[in-house]
Amino acid sequence: MNRYLLVLLISILSCATISVAEEPSPSDEEIQYFERKIRPILAHHCYSCHSSDAKVLRGGLRLDTAASVQKGGDSGPTLVAGQPDESLLIHSIQYDNDIQMPPKGRLPDEEIKELTEWVKRGAPFPKSLVEPDQKARQINFDEGRRFWSFQPLNQHPLPEVKDSQWPKSRIDAFLLSSMEREGLVPALPTDRVGLIRRLSFDLLGLPPIPEDVLAFVKDDSPNAYEKLVERLMASPQYGEKWARMWLDLARYTDRTESWLLQDGLAHLYRDWVVTAFNDDMPYDEFVRRQLAVDLMPGSNPQDLTALGFVGLSPTYWKELQLPCEIIKLIVADEWEERVDAVTSTFLGLTVACARCHDHKFDPISAADYHALAGVFASSRQVGRPLVSEEQYQPVREAKAEVAKLEVELTQLKAEMAKREKEKEKELQAAKQQKTAGETTAVPVDTATKGTATKGTATNVNALTPEEKLEQLTTKIKELKAIPMFDAPLTNALSEESLTIERAGANPQDGTRLVYRPGPQDLPLFSRGDPNRPGKIVRRRFLTVLTPEPQPYENGSGRLELAHSITSDAAPLAARVIVNRIWLTHFGQGLVSTPSNFGAQGSRPSHPELLDDLTARFIANGWSIKWLHREILLSATWQQSTRRSDHAKSIDPGNRWLSLMNRRRHDFEAWRDTMLSASGVLDLATGGPSRDLDELGNHRRTLYCTVHRRELSTTFQIHDFPDPNQHSPQRFSTITALQGLYALNGPLLVEQSQAFVSRLQREYPNDEAAQINRAYWLLFSRSPTATEQKLGLEYLSDAVGEERANRWKQYTHVLLASNEILFLD
Amino acid sequence: MTLEGQLNRRHLLQQFGGGVGMLSAASLLATNGNLAAAEAMSAAGTHFPPKAKRVIHLFMNGGPFGADLFDPKPALLKYEGQKPTGADLLTERPTGGLLASPFRFRMHGESGLPVSELLPHLSQHVDDMCILNSLHADNPNHGPALLQMNNGTITPTRPSMGAWFLYGLGTENENLPGYIVLCPGRPVRFSILWNSAFLPSAYQGTYINHSKIDPEKMVPHLRNTLWDATTQRRQLDLLQQLNVNHRELRPDDSALDARIAAMETAYKMQFQGSEAFDLALETKSTREAYGSGNFANGCLLARRLVERGVRFVQVYYGDGQPWDTHSNHNETVKKMCKEIDQPIAALLGDLKQRGLLEDTLVVWGGEFGRTPTSENGNGRDHNHHGFTMWLAGGGVKGGMAYGETDEFGFKAATNKVHVHDLHATILHLLGLDHERLTFRHAGRDFRLTDVYGNVVRDILA
Repeated sequence: MNRYLLVLLISILSCATISVAEEPSPSDEEIQYFERKIRPILAHHCYSCHSSDAKVLRGGLRLDTAASVQKGGDSGPTLVAGQPDESLLIHSIQYDNDIQMPPKGRLPDEEIKELTEWVKRGAPFPKSLVEPDQKARQINFDEGRRFWSFQPLNQHPLPEVKDSQWPKSRIDAFLLSSMEREGLVPALPTDRVGLIRRLSFDLLGLPPIPEDVLAFVKDDSPNAYEKLVERLMASPQYGEKWARMWLDLARYTDRTESWLLQDGLAHLYRDWVVTAFNDDMPYDEFVRRQLAVDLMPGSNPQDLTALGFVGLSPTYWKELQLPCEIIKLIVADEWEERVDAVTSTFLGLTVACARCHDHKFDPISAADYHALAGVFASSRQVGRPLVSEEQYQPVREAKAEVAKLEVELTQLKAEMAKREKEKEKELQAAKQQKTAGETTAVPVDTATKGTATKGTATNVNALTPEEKLEQLTTKIKELKAIPMFDAPLTNALSEESLTIERAGANPQDGTRLVYRPGPQDLPLFSRGDPNRPGKIVRRRFLTVLTPEPQPYENGSGRLELAHSITSDAAPLAARVIVNRIWLTHFGQGLVSTPSNFGAQGSRPSHPELLDDLTARFIANGWSIKWLHREILLSATWQQSTRRSDHAKSIDPGNRWLSLMNRRRHDFEAWRDTMLSASGVLDLATGGPSRDLDELGNHRRTLYCTVHRRELSTTFQIHDFPDPNQHSPQRFSTITALQGLYALNGPLLVEQSQAFVSRLQREYPNDEAAQINRAYWLLFSRSPTATEQKLGLEYLSDAVGEERANRWKQYTHVLLASNEILFLD
Repeated sequence: MTLEGQLNRRHLLQQFGGGVGMLSAASLLATNGNLAAAEAMSAAGTHFPPKAKRVIHLFMNGGPFGADLFDPKPALLKYEGQKPTGADLLTERPTGGLLASPFRFRMHGESGLPVSELLPHLSQHVDDMCILNSLHADNPNHGPALLQMNNGTITPTRPSMGAWFLYGLGTENENLPGYIVLCPGRPVRFSILWNSAFLPSAYQGTYINHSKIDPEKMVPHLRNTLWDATTQRRQLDLLQQLNVNHRELRPDDSALDARIAAMETAYKMQFQGSEAFDLALETKSTREAYGSGNFANGCLLARRLVERGVRFVQVYYGDGQPWDTHSNHNETVKKMCKEIDQPIAALLGDLKQRGLLEDTLVVWGGEFGRTPTSENGNGRDHNHHGFTMWLAGGGVKGGMAYGETDEFGFKAATNKVHVHDLHATILHLLGLDHERLTFRHAGRDFRLTDVYGNVVRDILA
């Protein structure tokens, strides 16, 4: 072994075992020195962040006990006794590396000298009586598995109820039992008209047409209501209404920032969701397809549209001129977003909280987080064709070639423009010289020719710029003409791993993003920082949801993840979706935190009911339509919204559902109702979106453009969820800006006119009948005598054009009224 | 408070949101069901007595260079064109040697603080200003830096500081939105900079493009183009009559009441709102004091709005990122300073004269600063390591400079103020403890300052 190697080895060894005057204990003299000279400096400048007194301990580092100094912090050992030059502490206070301490400003030179001297002396530190807790908090997964939402599902025996006549279904028995326990009595059933109206909005997001209302009221067959439920669930509008619930969770967007790549047609995913609901795709299948249809045996290229859930995830701008350390953070944020959206949506868990440290409340470790993040780090968001990759390969090649040629073309054009400008300048100069009487001719043409000749001399095949331009343009045109060049792409995923690398030797050389086929496992990022990688974590499922998590072996692991969710985690995944459907029907969940079934989420109001319903949901093939039926046929859902004084005093929040909640419509239902009533609603399904505020756009609101960065003001005013992130449920506000929209917005102006036209067309010259019809179209009922009178009075003292105006004002009032916005 | 009271209030607030006013911070907290926290807040709605009741943020989007304006660096001239050995000038992207600022400084006011010749009007107000020369941020790109300055983090899914202000304080004027963003165009990243994210959507900023100063062109749907006020009143009366009848059959539903109230407010806003936005109502001398141009109009609108109880007004200098001077730095800065100097001076004078400055905090700055080294010979690149902002009024010391950059104005060196610290300080001035103003979302409590931020106590008056 040569001497150099020996020195190196010694220094490595001394780094590995930092010695802070371990044994023997420091002498009295050393202690005195430390307490007099060193402790005051540490206490004054460091302890507010690096001691047991710190409100928030920074960098995992404490400097107030011998053991904690010896242990170091997140960035590693604090110091090497006797070697200031090797000590992070000294470098940090000298401000000569990445870590600069204290952050408020460099210490005075004397203090730096003093601390350096202390380290040189061997960093003596008196032993203190209280030593820091050496053991990090360990998650006890067995304990964690006992949490209610991770428990296996059981059908429960029906509880005893006093009023055995009331329950129509198992749901009712559970609910009635808790009502009786709380001293509550169910509300009366709502009337037939109220029922069909509620049902129509719940299943279709549209008001029932008057003829259907009348037919239903008259239908006295015993299964009239069941037939109605089936008929409405079979309508194509059903999928449109329920897809929107899902798209909120999936942070669906039609368009994204202009500066980010979007090569797929987003609406293909939206339409896939609509169809999945209409076809009653089993929910477990629905989950698996969205995560991994590309990896499922037997799937074909058209199925890739399902991948939009992850494929349309928000991407963040990456300035590649910047050092890769910064870009790594941005990419890590993207992975976190995927983990957050997927676990919140499918599992009702906030796994992203565990990126920087073990979850504070739930049994989810930082390693669990990184095991999932690795799955998304191994999947690339990419537009994929609806034909096989082999068939599409020539197009991919052509597109790559076109991209290359277009760069050349741009450069060439720039050069030509520059040359043109120079020529112009020279001409100008020549002219000026001429006018000034100068006789020296500037050989402009000769000069140009000269260059050309020179070019020809060195390369006989060189083309003139014009020829080159022509050639490039033709080539691009030819390439673009190949079959399927403009074939639609869907926002899908491919099995590629992203690594972020330094583009050159120095940080300033910028960053290169490299996609490689095949998966990657991520290192555990210390405190969530990808620039502080720790141990590699194999991709796998969450520990708490599997008896023994196995590493994913099949590509990125997406398909295995999907299976983990629908098998290992089936009870949780099913509870979460059952609760979401319940919430949409009742305006409140059995669990009031629909995307948090963890310790910080709320506990179910009716645990046995949730268990029982969920177990039966799985037994019934994860059928969402089965679940609708169970809920809609219950007596609970059919109660009226009329609240008794008794209920009001005992259960003001209606936790025990002894009446139906009155619900505020979302903007979609309001707009669709207006279009439906005025008779202009376009019921065409699917296809590209159209601008919400475009007059004459009469498609359902589901088909109006959601723009991730430039969300329509109308959507913004009306509580539309932020399409940048998973939205567990709609929150509704009532604001003056919404009021201004209702008073003056172009939609209501347009629709009130359209409504008048329809009424006049259907009941010419009969204003009473027109008012009656208006009420039926909007509210599924006749106006009361007072309402009829108010309407007629409003119109009465005007004639001619003024009367036409009154009609517009009147229908506008109806379209903006509370009765159209709130559902009983 | 009884359980019933709590639940009713929560329900009411969920329905109301903050947009219709009269909601204190305590009640706003209750929207989240965080009743304990709501109770803990004082009736006044703040954690402690506020020094500032409202904030005007003059946003120099693109990022100005402190050493041109408030932080003179003679060393730049001394080492012009060089990178002195040993100097820490490692910029994010390669830049050239040091580039001196050609603008002269003079001491101003009783405080004798240096202000550049580019700001002759503003320099007269230096005794009211607290100049922070040691700001620093985490990211040198516009998008993330704008997000950090506005939303506290570079993650684009967090509420803006204005949304946090409203969440903490509610609004003072039920006829106007509580948070208004003025920009004659669109700053980079646009609405995400004033979004409410997981906070109730009523707290989001209302963006107004004031490049056309007709109020009707600023506030969406402000004006009814079809009917006169009498007709509208008649129409509204019918609507409210129907709504009242509807409510009579449905007692105890505060949401129905809330909607009736909101329609009334909206109706009034058509008249009072347009008054608030109407610069034509200002006297000729006031208009002249502010001068002309988009930025001058923005400053004057800001005063009109805070005067009417709007909590937070941001005035962006311009469309895109005008202060982003990668080339022709000096000429561009000269021109832009000319556009901001007189209006800001007039704003400070106007606020003071109306007795508003003492409880209105004015904040000036960009999302970051610029490099002391040159880019393209006559431009400057982004620099988040050290930059200048200033505060005035609202409980900060005037005539004070706080913190320093290194000798070249590159990195914050002493008394460093991170953007988190700035946010903590602004919240403090508003009477809010940045560590206690939290909102539970996705399983944890969120704050504007995340887990960071210290109040810069030395600058508090």
